[in-house]
Amino acid sequence: MSKHAPTLVLVGVNHKTAPLELRERVAINRDELPEAIRALAAMPGVLECLIVSTCNRVELLASVDSHDVDPAEFLFRQFGIEPSVLGPHLYQHRDRDAVRHLFRVASSLDSMVVGEPQILGQVKDAFAVARAAGTVSGHLEHLLQCAFSAAKKVRSETHIGSNSVSIASVAVDLARKIFGSLHGRTVFLVGAGKMSELAARHLVEQGAGAILVSNRTIERAEYMAEEFDGRVIPFQQLYDVAGDADIVITSTGAPHFIFRPEHGHAFLHKRRNRPMFFIDIAVPRDVDPAMNNLEGIFVYDVDDLQQVAASHMQERSRQALDAEALVDLEVDRFHQRQRTVNVAPAIVAMQKQAEEIRLGELHRIHARLGTLTAEQLAAVEALTRGMVNKFLHPHMQAIKKAARDGDSARLDALCEAWSVHMSAEKEQAAATANAGEPEAAEQRTPHNHENQLEARR
Amino acid sequence: MYLLWLRVAAILYAAASVAVFPAVLYNQLRWRKICVHAGGMALFFHFVSAVEMLALAHRWMPIHVREVESLLGFAVAGLFFLAWWLYDAEFLGLLALPATFLLIFIPSLGPGGYVFPSQGVRTSWLIAHIAALLVAYVALVFSVLASILYLVQERRLKSKLKPKQGSSWGFFDWLPPLDTLERIAHASLEFGFPCMTVGLIIGAVLVQETPLGASYFLDPKVIASFISWFVYVLLLLVRRSAGLRGRKAAYLSGAFMVVMVAVWALNLFSRVHKFGAP
Repeated sequence: MSKHAPTLVLVGVNHKTAPLELRERVAINRDELPEAIRALAAMPGVLECLIVSTCNRVELLASVDSHDVDPAEFLFRQFGIEPSVLGPHLYQHRDRDAVRHLFRVASSLDSMVVGEPQILGQVKDAFAVARAAGTVSGHLEHLLQCAFSAAKKVRSETHIGSNSVSIASVAVDLARKIFGSLHGRTVFLVGAGKMSELAARHLVEQGAGAILVSNRTIERAEYMAEEFDGRVIPFQQLYDVAGDADIVITSTGAPHFIFRPEHGHAFLHKRRNRPMFFIDIAVPRDVDPAMNNLEGIFVYDVDDLQQVAASHMQERSRQALDAEALVDLEVDRFHQRQRTVNVAPAIVAMQKQAEEIRLGELHRIHARLGTLTAEQLAAVEALTRGMVNKFLHPHMQAIKKAARDGDSARLDALCEAWSVHMSAEKEQAAATANAGEPEAAEQRTPHNHENQLEARR
Repeated sequence: MYLLWLRVAAILYAAASVAVFPAVLYNQLRWRKICVHAGGMALFFHFVSAVEMLALAHRWMPIHVREVESLLGFAVAGLFFLAWWLYDAEFLGLLALPATFLLIFIPSLGPGGYVFPSQGVRTSWLIAHIAALLVAYVALVFSVLASILYLVQERRLKSKLKPKQGSSWGFFDWLPPLDTLERIAHASLEFGFPCMTVGLIIGAVLVQETPLGASYFLDPKVIASFISWFVYVLLLLVRRSAGLRGRKAAYLSGAFMVVMVAVWALNLFSRVHKFGAP
């Protein structure tokens, strides 16, 4: 066993610190991830590790047995990048900072789009891969579970992810505000650009029904119709068919308005005033803004959608402040729990000592008790064990509380009163906990893992 | 015997009155058939009853109120079926069939009217009358509430979710989709209508037993209640036939709520149908 306490280290690059070209060079795809994790775990001094690799970040999280171990070297070696090239873009967090960073990442507070939901799934995937590769056990496993719990809390207790921030998803949200369920709604794509394709994809994912496509270039329309299992409408029949659609997405290159109020009146008449939603993502616009004045017709152009997305983004930023406070609270709770784990050996020693005393006393008076039946013996056993447990309980709670509070003086006094000692590393942990860095002394050895779990319970 | 035919006609008119609503408002073919058959047979039995009634009296001139009511009902139903046959004006049935039923309902009870077997039964009918009308009011309130929320949500969406100076649209993020609000408003109206109809019919049964008789129907509140029922029918008809929805439908529901509040307020002027009156 090393003389030094295990340290948590997090090293990585993300969209804020490194350009895309560099992130591309260090990105690890899912197939290569198990091998890369094993290679990292094979580094001298690495006790546990996992790698999170997404399009916006590559991060190594490791529990190492010495402050001298630097996982960044793995990145330099694995990808053959000079430290002088990659080094300036790397960030490194240790112990409490590493825990906080991980919690922020899992809670999507460090994402390019704050509050996006994918990152939590990506961290969970990374954890699953590492667990399958056998490179995480007690310490990181507990840390990751706490990170997932913190992320879940952030999502449920703040509104950080409740509003859409991309144009396509804003369009879907608006459609839902008008129509409720999108099941069975007809979507008409007028012009078959990339943006309208994206918006249509979002709508179809939400259950939109028939997809109609009209485009001046028939080949492109056919391609899109095939993509969505839809129907091509000749451009000449545009106005005949548009009235059948609930949602019209326009993105043509026409220099003038294609849809004007007189068309709107005709559509409403045909639809018996059932509402219509026009998503105009063409520049110049395809839909006359005056159409929005007609009752039952809602028109949103690119600027409108962007403004809604921007206001949602502002709202997310406001929610992020609450989420940061929540993450800090969760980090504190994690450390409190860790400190409790650190006193497990002392509690076990105390229990062992009390049990020895109990057995000794029983043995001493055994002769005076005379011949006891099996039932009587069991009753005496139960009585003495119950008394010992009840007597120990408040003392064990006091030790746990002192550990949670990082009160090493009180912890020492309690241990001394019982003539029990934490291991050298544990004592160091308690001392550093008092100094604000308890996890620096975290000990992971196979023999005490059970005790730690017991103490955590 | 004429009373038996009149009662059969009343039952058939009631069935036709029920069937005409899904037939007209939802274009249900099955209900249309029921309406035609029940209404046609009702008209036939009504005719037999009227002829027999006047023949028994040895005169062709109706003298008593009940005779006039019965013949007036026959004229209304006859004209309706004529209009349906000539102009396919099926929607008129929404007014004509229930009106005919109401007109012959009292005469069909016989010269002595219907007497409740006990005070307990009478009280039960009174409770049913009040409950049905209260439910109709509640349904209307729900409809108006949904309509108001519809107008707010529509305004939000029309203004591109941009709040006015000094206000915040974010407060209304909880609002349901427009379509949901529209459905709630319409469904509440449709639910309230049969409740109101049943409430009024029970009221008519209750009043025929009192010494007030027909004079009861001259009370401003009672007249306003029947007028509001006709307005209710028109409201449903306009909503359905003109495809009226959205903002205009919301305003119309609001206007009808004002009518109902006015009917409620007529309690102040009523002599025979007043809350707290013995």
